[in-house]
Amino acid sequence: MLKYTSKIRETARRLLTEHRVDAVIGFRKGTVPMICQPVLITTPQEVDTLYWDSFCGVNLANYLPKRQGPIAIVAKGCDARNIVVHMSENQIKRDQLFIIGIPCKAMGDRRKITRALNGQEVLEVTEDADTIVAKGEGFEMPFNKADVLQDNCAICIHRNPVIYDKLIGEPVPEQDGIDRYADVQKLEAMGADERWNYFQDLVAPCIRCYACRDVCPLCYCPTCFVDESRPQWLGKSIDPTDTMTFHLLRAFHCAGRCTDCGACEQACPMGIRVRRFTRKLEKDVLELYAYEAGMTMEARPPLDVYRPDDSGDFI
Amino acid sequence: MNEWEPKIIAFLCNWCSYSAADLAGVSRLAYPSNIRVIRIPCTGLMSPKFILNAFRHGADGVWVSG
Amino acid sequence: MSEVQEVSGEAGNFEVTVLQSPRYIDTDLCIACGTCTEKCPKRVIDSFNAGLSRRKAAYLAYPQAVPQKYVIDSKNCIYFKKKGRCMACKKFCPADAVNLDEEAKVRKMRVGAMVLATGFAPYDPLSRDTFSYGRHPNVVTSLEFERILSSSGPYQGHMVRASDQKEPKRIAWLQCVGSRDSHHGANPYCSTVCCTYAIKQALIAKEHSTESLDATIFYIDIRTQGKDFEKYYMRARDEEGIRFVKSKIDRVLPVDDTGKLMIRYVDAAGKRIEEEFDMVILSVGLSVRKDTVSLAEKLGIELDQYSFSATSSFAPVETSRPGIYACGAFQGPKDIPYSVMQASAAACAAGTRLVEARGTLVREKPRVSERVIAGEPPRVGVFVCNCGVNIGGIVRVPEVVAYAKTLPCVTYVEENLFTCSQDTQDKMKEVIKEHGLNRIVVAACSPRTHETLFQETLTQAGLNKYLFEMANIRNQCSWVHSNDPDRATEKAKDLVRMAVAKSVRLDPLEEVKLNVIQAGIVIGGGLAGMTVALGLADQGFPVHLVEKEKALAGHGQKLLKTWKGEDVGAFVAEVVQRVEEHPLISVHLQSTVVEAEGFVGNFRSTIRTGDVTEVVEHGTAIIATGAHELKPSDYHFGRHPNIFVSLDLDRTIVTEPERFKDIKTAVFIQCVGSREPQRRYCSKVCCTHSIQSALRLKELNPEMEIYILFRDIRTYGQREDIYREARARGVAFIRYSLDEKPKVDISDNKLRVTVKDQMIQVPIRIDAEIVTLASAIVPPADNKLLSKLYKLAMNEEGYFQEAHAKLRPVDFAVDGVFMAGLAHGPKPVEESIAQAQAAAARAVCLLAARTIYTSAEVAYTNAAYCSGCGVCVEICPFGAASADAETGKAQINPAQCKGCGLCVASCRSGALNLNGFDQDQTFAMIDEALAS
Repeated sequence: MLKYTSKIRETARRLLTEHRVDAVIGFRKGTVPMICQPVLITTPQEVDTLYWDSFCGVNLANYLPKRQGPIAIVAKGCDARNIVVHMSENQIKRDQLFIIGIPCKAMGDRRKITRALNGQEVLEVTEDADTIVAKGEGFEMPFNKADVLQDNCAICIHRNPVIYDKLIGEPVPEQDGIDRYADVQKLEAMGADERWNYFQDLVAPCIRCYACRDVCPLCYCPTCFVDESRPQWLGKSIDPTDTMTFHLLRAFHCAGRCTDCGACEQACPMGIRVRRFTRKLEKDVLELYAYEAGMTMEARPPLDVYRPDDSGDFI
Repeated sequence: MNEWEPKIIAFLCNWCSYSAADLAGVSRLAYPSNIRVIRIPCTGLMSPKFILNAFRHGADGVWVSG
Repeated sequence: MSEVQEVSGEAGNFEVTVLQSPRYIDTDLCIACGTCTEKCPKRVIDSFNAGLSRRKAAYLAYPQAVPQKYVIDSKNCIYFKKKGRCMACKKFCPADAVNLDEEAKVRKMRVGAMVLATGFAPYDPLSRDTFSYGRHPNVVTSLEFERILSSSGPYQGHMVRASDQKEPKRIAWLQCVGSRDSHHGANPYCSTVCCTYAIKQALIAKEHSTESLDATIFYIDIRTQGKDFEKYYMRARDEEGIRFVKSKIDRVLPVDDTGKLMIRYVDAAGKRIEEEFDMVILSVGLSVRKDTVSLAEKLGIELDQYSFSATSSFAPVETSRPGIYACGAFQGPKDIPYSVMQASAAACAAGTRLVEARGTLVREKPRVSERVIAGEPPRVGVFVCNCGVNIGGIVRVPEVVAYAKTLPCVTYVEENLFTCSQDTQDKMKEVIKEHGLNRIVVAACSPRTHETLFQETLTQAGLNKYLFEMANIRNQCSWVHSNDPDRATEKAKDLVRMAVAKSVRLDPLEEVKLNVIQAGIVIGGGLAGMTVALGLADQGFPVHLVEKEKALAGHGQKLLKTWKGEDVGAFVAEVVQRVEEHPLISVHLQSTVVEAEGFVGNFRSTIRTGDVTEVVEHGTAIIATGAHELKPSDYHFGRHPNIFVSLDLDRTIVTEPERFKDIKTAVFIQCVGSREPQRRYCSKVCCTHSIQSALRLKELNPEMEIYILFRDIRTYGQREDIYREARARGVAFIRYSLDEKPKVDISDNKLRVTVKDQMIQVPIRIDAEIVTLASAIVPPADNKLLSKLYKLAMNEEGYFQEAHAKLRPVDFAVDGVFMAGLAHGPKPVEESIAQAQAAAARAVCLLAARTIYTSAEVAYTNAAYCSGCGVCVEICPFGAASADAETGKAQINPAQCKGCGLCVASCRSGALNLNGFDQDQTFAMIDEALAS
């Protein structure tokens, strides 16, 4: 990880010194452990704030839409796919970008570690290839990294960036033989009532803070539908129907675009598994249209195009 | 007639299904009265927002036809 | 209800006497309520439902009849049979529309041209004993079966057989009933459409069946030569499990009293087989109507041996009498797309003749200036119609009226006996002015039939016509809930409340007037392109004709003769000369279109000729880029001088006829590259072409042995004649299968063809001296570029995609652009010319209008909400959405928008809306629908 950090700094320094970019978007060490913060730096002097470890789960593509001028960005596999989505949706141009590609070794889930420590405060983490060690007052607990991964990372099969200008390490082997949709199949197996109740329970704790929306690179509309007043799509209070409407529409808006980066779930202060909504759509798009978002600029997203042989079984 | 009856909102395409609903009238077919039709110019306009809104306001079923 | 009695005069000045039979119902007064039908006591066999059901003597011809007005059938009506009796219709008609004293009217009209579009009569199989038709109710013709499948048919769309009203489990279709049959009383020609319609019926029957249906089609050749029909056939056979049996039918016999029918037939291998079916459908062909023959006699136009209009392949819609044109099945058996093409072609031919008279009878409607309502609070006027008793007999209209008065923004409510009547309209105009109404709601029948009428009233009252909304309390309320007046009344109130809620949110909308640039561009200088260019130029419009090769004529110059024997080369030369000499046609040779922008009526295209580019402005564009012959990669093509493709053989026969004098054996291989997995379409012309070539070789050397190796012989229409002639002259036809294609071997510079005959199932070796490959027609690769430039859709094979396969065969989905010729799909000369004339007619419609009004019900963008993601640009089927060059925000061109709303639904940001169907209006309706 330290190797990645130094390579990122080295590349960023060169780009800024040579004035090839106006800014670099990357991570810096967070003020608390296990949450690295996105940072935008504009001078070579700031380069040493850049940092990389297993807690860089935020999707940096979220900071790209509508930026002007040349810019560099640090990108994991999922960030890179979202950059492709942005390019196909005219949010940024390829020739503006210098993509510092990260062969991603999967991100750790701070909640899993905190839960395992029964809420003891972690003051520092260190890590090597397979182990993450959490340290606090009076304890030092090693974790097998594979046991504390973000759920989406555990089933990820696109860890290497699909697009980059410089790859800062050797490509990592992609996982195979993964059962990627076991979670969705469970939902599909439920009856209608059971499923409805499941989702009602799922969103019951939601406080409508919209953090899931705000960290999502796909959500860049000037005015989100939740804020519109003519027509007013949904009410402002925490009415269960409004809450459900919000989550359903948010999921619909991600259909065929979501890269399952997991940012929404990581951001939720209530720990709601909001990926439950988007995952089913992701699976449907893959099965019906053989399409995964952000893999290539060549294919248009399936929901943008019509082909006579499109699946019509639902009609 | 105290049995529960669902409230149904139908979004019908002007060119096909809405005409068909007219034709059902011309043919004097009978059907239950618990359906409210909203004419749309084409099901192309059909947004999931409409469906969710109908449910939100108490519809028990939404029918889109076009 | 009219017929031509007499025609005098000549082209440009005919006088036509027309006899109009009485309808006995005044179409101006009839409100299409159906009371006359309901009250009429007389039941009559319903000829529209092929005699399978009954109707009344007072009736509507069929549910979709235009005009939607009733008729009294005087041949069966009691009043006319027993003078003066009954009159129930008159008594009960709420609109006083019945006039039993109406008399026939004779009308004389002066016209410059006439078009005969008399259609066809289905072949009547009663004269055939073979099929048990007329003796057994479960043997029906395809047209009868069509009615059985129809939801407005005798069984409301439930597929049942007549004998016991039960659903059949096994159905057989028998092809070529009365077609391709030289026996007395039958038609020797192929009826062209029956194979495809039988497949369609089998597929629909399968959809209608509650259990799995066993559908079998007994055929001689499957002739799915039309565009995309082959894929349809393949789908039916390979995916939907429809069984196709190549066979000869011996007899159809009833099986005792089971209602079943036994078909005895001989299969492809000559084996005699008997099979039982629950129902037998006879795929009857198309004949000329008897009354058409007498009309033709009256008009003095020539008919061919089958009584079809005799026309030349080069002027496919011109009859023998100048100024009289023919189109559709009267000109020969044909499917809907070609009928529609011919109809437009006839319009083109007639329009060219009448060019001087264009516009001379047009009268302008006076315009009323529109009141500006900006800033006014909504003042809604509600008009609730009783429609006689049609609404008022069920729905308690006064209650609805009282309720409407309580709704917000409603300032005026009125109850009418007939809101649509002229006096109510006049009153409505006054009321609008008097009460300063700025939104009108009519609660009556359907906007589908009456919206334009009421909108016209608004216009005359000086109110923007889009400030109008209807509540459908008749067709979708009183008529369907007649057994429950309480609920019908409640529903009517809901519908009125919904309409009012929408109406207060309506804005005035504008139809923008645009000028049409009075010129066209035609891309492709082949026969089709040249015909289009002449069609436009002869009607007075300048044309840019762009051809990428050095000379005009395209493939037309390579063809020798049409199947009727007409000299194509001479005709093409004449057309080229006319085009080159025409003062309104600018020919751009060795040129291509490299850039294009704009929209209907206002295009700008850049033509590049060598290094020079020229920008031309035009109102319309016609794509006629043609197609070419595939150079085969199999059958050793190119490795032996005596292996030809069809056009090469034609050329060699002309240039070196002596080469063929001593040839003993010639082989033709059909479907080379067509109807194969990589090219799933039929090239349409090759069967006819090979048979023509075979006959030509027989002329050069009658002793020559000629073999045509085929899969299905597709000599559709009257082309069947030359197939019959070829067989009579000894040409041998050997059927092969796609799984065991023929092999061509070269050894010692000699050719040997091996083929497994599907009839005797034995390989046959033929030592051939010449082998001709009937190779596929393939579209040019640069169609893709044009498709990008003008945003034109293409099908998977690379042919251009028409806006509607049946009804708009020359239009693109994009307005103002049309297609003609092989760019649309493989077709012979006469169909190319007809399509080219059709494209010209469609283009002239646009140009001659000089101005167009955009639709008001189009999408629009709210830039503040737009995120510029471009989904609308991608998703719009009409190329109406684009991104602003500077801001990247979406913009909609109202001239191109069709108001489908796809962009609105696809927009995540809510930046798009559709005029007249704004999302807040729809929301308001949903809210109100559920508010009670």
